[in-house]
Amino acid sequence: MSLLSRLQGLLRIKKLERELDEELRSHVAMRAQDNEAAGMTPEEARHKAQQQFGNTTLMKEDAREMDIVKWMETAGQNLRYALRMLRRSPGFTAVAILTLALGIGANVATFTVVHAVLLNPLPFAHPEQLVRAYDDLRGSNTQDVGMSAPELWDLRDKSGVFQEISAAWPVDANLTGGEHPDRLEFLGTSTNYFTLLGVRAQLGRVYTVEDSQPGFTEGITISDGFWHRMFGADPNVLGKKIRLDGDLYTILGVLPPGFRHPGSSLGSEVEVFAAAGFSAAPFPVPPQRTLRMVPATIARLKPGLSVAQAQARLDAFTAQLSREFPVDYPAAANWGVRLVRVQDDLVGKVRTELLVLFGAVGCVLLIACVNLANLLLARSASRQREIAIRQALGAGHRRLIGQLLTESMLLATVSGVVALITVVLLKDWLLRLAPADMPRLNEVMLSPGVLLFAFAVSIVTGVIFGLAPALQTVRPNQVTNLRESSRGSGSSKHQMKISRTLVALEIALSLVLLIGAGLLLRSFWHLIDVRPGFDPHHVVTAKIWLSVPNDPAEDNYRTTEKRAAFHREVLRRVGGLAGVEQAAVGSQNSLPMGSTHFQLRFTIESLAADSERAPVAEVVGISPDYFPLLKTPLLRGRALGEADDTKGQRVALVNETLARKYWPEGDAVGQHIQLTGVRPQSPNTQWITIVGVVGDIKSDGLDAATAPRIYLPVNQSPSYAMVVYLRTNTDPGTLGDAVRREVQSIDPSIPVFGVSTMDEVVAKYLEQRRFALELLGVFAGVALLLASIGIYGVMAYTFSQRTNEIGIRMAMGAQRGDILRIAVGEGALVVAFGLAAGLAGSLVLTRFLQTMLFDVKPTDPITFAGISALLAAVALVACFVPARRATRVDPLVALRHE
Amino acid sequence: MGQGNSDVLSGTLALLVLKTLARGAMHGYGITLHIQRVSNEVLRVEEGSLYPALHRMEQDGWIRAEWGVSENNRRARYYELTAKGRKQLAQEEKNWNELTQAVTSVLQFV
Repeated sequence: MSLLSRLQGLLRIKKLERELDEELRSHVAMRAQDNEAAGMTPEEARHKAQQQFGNTTLMKEDAREMDIVKWMETAGQNLRYALRMLRRSPGFTAVAILTLALGIGANVATFTVVHAVLLNPLPFAHPEQLVRAYDDLRGSNTQDVGMSAPELWDLRDKSGVFQEISAAWPVDANLTGGEHPDRLEFLGTSTNYFTLLGVRAQLGRVYTVEDSQPGFTEGITISDGFWHRMFGADPNVLGKKIRLDGDLYTILGVLPPGFRHPGSSLGSEVEVFAAAGFSAAPFPVPPQRTLRMVPATIARLKPGLSVAQAQARLDAFTAQLSREFPVDYPAAANWGVRLVRVQDDLVGKVRTELLVLFGAVGCVLLIACVNLANLLLARSASRQREIAIRQALGAGHRRLIGQLLTESMLLATVSGVVALITVVLLKDWLLRLAPADMPRLNEVMLSPGVLLFAFAVSIVTGVIFGLAPALQTVRPNQVTNLRESSRGSGSSKHQMKISRTLVALEIALSLVLLIGAGLLLRSFWHLIDVRPGFDPHHVVTAKIWLSVPNDPAEDNYRTTEKRAAFHREVLRRVGGLAGVEQAAVGSQNSLPMGSTHFQLRFTIESLAADSERAPVAEVVGISPDYFPLLKTPLLRGRALGEADDTKGQRVALVNETLARKYWPEGDAVGQHIQLTGVRPQSPNTQWITIVGVVGDIKSDGLDAATAPRIYLPVNQSPSYAMVVYLRTNTDPGTLGDAVRREVQSIDPSIPVFGVSTMDEVVAKYLEQRRFALELLGVFAGVALLLASIGIYGVMAYTFSQRTNEIGIRMAMGAQRGDILRIAVGEGALVVAFGLAAGLAGSLVLTRFLQTMLFDVKPTDPITFAGISALLAAVALVACFVPARRATRVDPLVALRHE
Repeated sequence: MGQGNSDVLSGTLALLVLKTLARGAMHGYGITLHIQRVSNEVLRVEEGSLYPALHRMEQDGWIRAEWGVSENNRRARYYELTAKGRKQLAQEEKNWNELTQAVTSVLQFV
């Protein structure tokens, strides 16, 4: 080519470009004019026209997609188009939105709880520094035995790992001065408790180290709830005095509404916070290392110190203390202090459960997505011509996929909004489904994190169920698509393959959920099958708390005799109530499934030389009728009697676990034991003779091993906190009132509270497991339903596509049974693939359930086989129904099908 | 259309443009307006496809272009059908009708 012609060519291109430029400019100008005529300002009209066209220069360079303005314009068009498409098929839209809203809603609801309970840091400054310190006797394999005041002080002053450490001692307290004595929950802390947490009062002030006293500090801090309940939120509450357990306290301040003690309480919210020095009455004087009265602690680590580092330093520190005080810390006991982050301590038990439920609910949403994807795939067949035409009009692949995705995103977003609104409206109702003892439930709220999650899950959902159908619909070569759709069945080969894969996926996911639910169900069955060691039916319990004034001189029940006499009088009176067959009392920890513990070390006379052992047992006080009333058998020796009082010989019963543990060969009856870690003036320091062995009561939970227990006669060691047991057939509500009347006629200052039947106590224990089981069961059920619908839909579609083939086969003499066999066989193949994938998935995933299972292995073959069979049966029925319908077609009609 | 590989498909746009021009000469913007209005807003012709198609059809000799003045006294490039274009239109129309007829009969049967 000569230079000249090349130049000419160049000039021609220049001219062409100029012309094209002018043409496009006039196009935009005309559109702007129309826009202006439609009522826009000239500025707006021009801008809009330019937008609509895209930047002309950029368009010429074919870089339209880079232009954000153009992109937004395209998105807007897509959105309008999607809206029109969805409006055109309201049935599909409604079903899709309903399914998705359910799935997304369940996910958002679960996430809301997961977020509040597990993810959200505790509402305190530097929550990662907050730990709890537990005393463990590792030598006797006993954890959390409580802490003594000297230990607390050593940890505070000498260990070098804590900024602050405080006791956290939840107790009952009697509020007197009102019409009736009122029991409330009282937390005894160290004076640095609020400094440690970084909490200020909303009114008045909190107590600080400045207020320190050897015994209880007179100034107390009350909760916002108590302020409202007792004082009607009176702003002049400061300085008011209230009488608790006979002592007068002055209200220093009111805590902010959101504040909760970040630890366990006895059964309700803490209402009164009081500080103590733990070194004067009512605490043991002088303080002793082995008197581990403080049941719990909370501490703040020094900045920059990890829990592991602090633990390492503490181990060295406790080892050194043990050497310093060899009498208090016998080597055999192997005393140590264990640190646990407060956050883990609070939610550790429910973590697995919540994460499992979260996973399950995610699976349900995935199954819902798969179903919708299948629905969209079926629809896509009818839309392929529409798509082809749009392609012909110049819409690119990306544009079309974008448009189809816009439709699924729109569906998902609308569903997300519906779900979010539903969750917000139903929040309180939904929260009532959760077990009451789920920690931090009060912190559940609609935070930005939750909104973000709802938004993200909607978008991801839209992509998941929209992408496969979109890619399938916008296949590269649309010519074949146009031809295929005119020819019918041919087009769906590829599509059917996708559909079947999706159905197999659905079956696999459902199987995982069903197996999970099945394992929990079997655990639950085993659990209710466990013999609790007592008969909970027709037993009513109520709690009594004798006041413990700070000044022992004012304590009406200071002596063993006085307390024992009170208990005897209570027993005599309630035993005579109408409808009461039998009555007993026991210490707080005599209540099965309770949360209070009183573990003590003890020595065995016959094994005293054997210093390698440091036996620990739960020490329980009971009246003689306790075991007969609970129908727990006496295995050896004699029962306790009324004669076992302070004048008689010191005696005890032990449970079977203890007897087996220390006298595996011989007989426990007649052996002598001595308790350590009791107040020196207590009669319990004497040698005690074991007079009998009773059956184990599953007091620590139906799924836990029973701890060794020593039962002391209540007459010899009566405690301040008692539980009354009544065997009766009367209504527990009215009985509670009767008990209250009788007790208060003995001493009007004593409250009776916590009235419930033993059946309720057991049910409450099972509640948490029931919660996980029921939710997972519901999720699995929904999954099964969705999967069946999915299989049915796909199979029905397959057979309708193959009517012609079926007609030919039948015309050639095939029997209905043959056709059915072929049809169901094909379905069975899909089901088999799904089951195989599901079984493989379950084998991997069920191990996460481990801690939630009881007496069932995560790979329990019976559950795996049974659930697979169930799912296979349901799936095959879902195949069979449409197959049978297909064979009912008249061969002649079927043949003419094309 | 990015790939522009399919005769049938670019044929569809060509068919629409040819049919529009059969009513008389018109500029590019007018063509998009007409197709959009007549199809009840369902079919929206992308400018990025229209102008390349117009130029291709011009090169094929189905249409010819001429600068003129629009209703609003604006310079615009007007396109009109040639004899060859008219023949092409008849052919394309016939093809399309056959195709849609076939599709419709299948649909009605189901």
